[in-house]
Amino acid sequence: MSHTKVTERPQRWPAFTSPIRSTALTARVGSLVGICFLVCLGTGLLSHYQYRPWSWLPEPASPVWLYRFTQGVHVATGMATIPLVLVKLWSVYPNLFRWPPMRSVKHALERLSIFVLVSTALIQLTTGFLNALNWYPWPWDFVSVHRFLGYVVVGLILLHVGVKLPHIVYGWQAKLPEADVLTEIPWSENPNAHSNACDVPPPATTALSRRGVLVAAGAGIGTVVLTSVGQTVTPLEPLGLLAIRQWTKGPQGVPVNKTAAQAAVVELAQSADWRLQVAGLQAYSLTLDDLEELPQVEADFPITCVEGWSAGAHWQGIPLLEVVRRAGGDASSRVRVVSLEPDGLYSTSVVEGPQVTAALLAVHLNGERLDVDHGYPLRLIAPNRAGVLNTKWLGRVEVN
Amino acid sequence: MRTWRIALSTAGILLGLFGVFRLFTETPFSHLLWLLLWLVAAVAIHDGVLSPLVVGIGWLLAKTVPPRARRFLQGGLIAGGPITVVAIPMMLRQGLDPPAKALLLQDFRVNLAYLLAVVATICLLLYALAVARKDAVRSMVGRLGPGS
Repeated sequence: MSHTKVTERPQRWPAFTSPIRSTALTARVGSLVGICFLVCLGTGLLSHYQYRPWSWLPEPASPVWLYRFTQGVHVATGMATIPLVLVKLWSVYPNLFRWPPMRSVKHALERLSIFVLVSTALIQLTTGFLNALNWYPWPWDFVSVHRFLGYVVVGLILLHVGVKLPHIVYGWQAKLPEADVLTEIPWSENPNAHSNACDVPPPATTALSRRGVLVAAGAGIGTVVLTSVGQTVTPLEPLGLLAIRQWTKGPQGVPVNKTAAQAAVVELAQSADWRLQVAGLQAYSLTLDDLEELPQVEADFPITCVEGWSAGAHWQGIPLLEVVRRAGGDASSRVRVVSLEPDGLYSTSVVEGPQVTAALLAVHLNGERLDVDHGYPLRLIAPNRAGVLNTKWLGRVEVN
Repeated sequence: MRTWRIALSTAGILLGLFGVFRLFTETPFSHLLWLLLWLVAAVAIHDGVLSPLVVGIGWLLAKTVPPRARRFLQGGLIAGGPITVVAIPMMLRQGLDPPAKALLLQDFRVNLAYLLAVVATICLLLYALAVARKDAVRSMVGRLGPGS
């Protein structure tokens, strides 16, 4: 291996002198970043499964809070990873100024992979966060690109860990205050580095220590999590200075993702001519009065949005299975519910497996008649089910 | 170690290529170009603007603020950074959606100011504590006299 001497660098070249940066610090922050991305990939794939389950493995109906938990973790972890990645990148910023920029084809490929990793990680986190804010300043389809970029990011993290494993092991084995300083010169090429000359102690930090950096960053990131997670850990809402959603401010104590006005159903939903059409072996239709006379049950199911907010709610309505049976179906039927919404990505959804038995066609929410923004006159609500799949403003139920 | 490195790298390359393949086969070409622009811009903004800014602030602090005070100033900036990064997009989007969505209804400029004030207060208190402790040690050393 040919070593490039420091003197061969261009005369004017950035020199990083801060003793705070160290492979020991990077290994600790980087490991956490890697774990966070793995958590986000796992919970993200579970979320995609909600939208396209295999028919032989339908979503379970219990625990009722399963999706609420996994998606809350997904969004809270993603938010926390934004500053975490910034700290990680800050800790290795001098590596950008290694000289020569490329010393072999292998080195060039590694730098290229890091460029793609950094860019996809930053875009993944930014667009995921903006999605939670309902802000879409890009033309591409968020859902599919977010999933595919997730594969790319985690794939490149695995590659990065594979390439850097000796450094990671060194970083974890070294004591945080004593490990080599990370500068634009690799320690293996620096004759004055502590690891190369044991009698040379690593330079002491003059102000904030490396541990201090971890504590301060942890306090900041912890504050972000604590003040934002109230949008899904509902008892923490009073602390929610950075909460994107506030469940207490939604109609009937539950936020709404799409209002009746946005769905263009305000008049249709409140029309006196409203009927629920049920298609199946025995087709029939029900008026609102008919529905009121059917036996109703109550249930506590959370409403969980893919964007990371959720709220527990008390529902009252007709068991979906009751409506299905009257049409000649049973618990093994595949049921498609259709909204009055003229168009829209989620104007229909399919209920199958254990959720057919567990689902309600709700008419009341938290002790009141459904608000029109919550799907008046009738909506689907099922446990462990992504929010938009609980179709609102139902006009039709198809039993297959 | 060698086995682990090969296994991790191979799995990573395969997963990454799978993602790239899905991305290229299921996204319209014009959208891919936009995505490419975003990806390059993200690195350019991070490496070319944000990082030099942070390094510059650190350099300026090292030049102007004595170590003991600098420690708490650095800590405060590092703790305040994550809060600010998350709050800025919220400030830009607050109040734009129908109230029923319960989305970004707060004034995040005020909330950010509260949170940063808390961070600043904690840092000031810790700094004051450090100064008081040093003074206490100094006066104790003074009472015991030189050479003790």
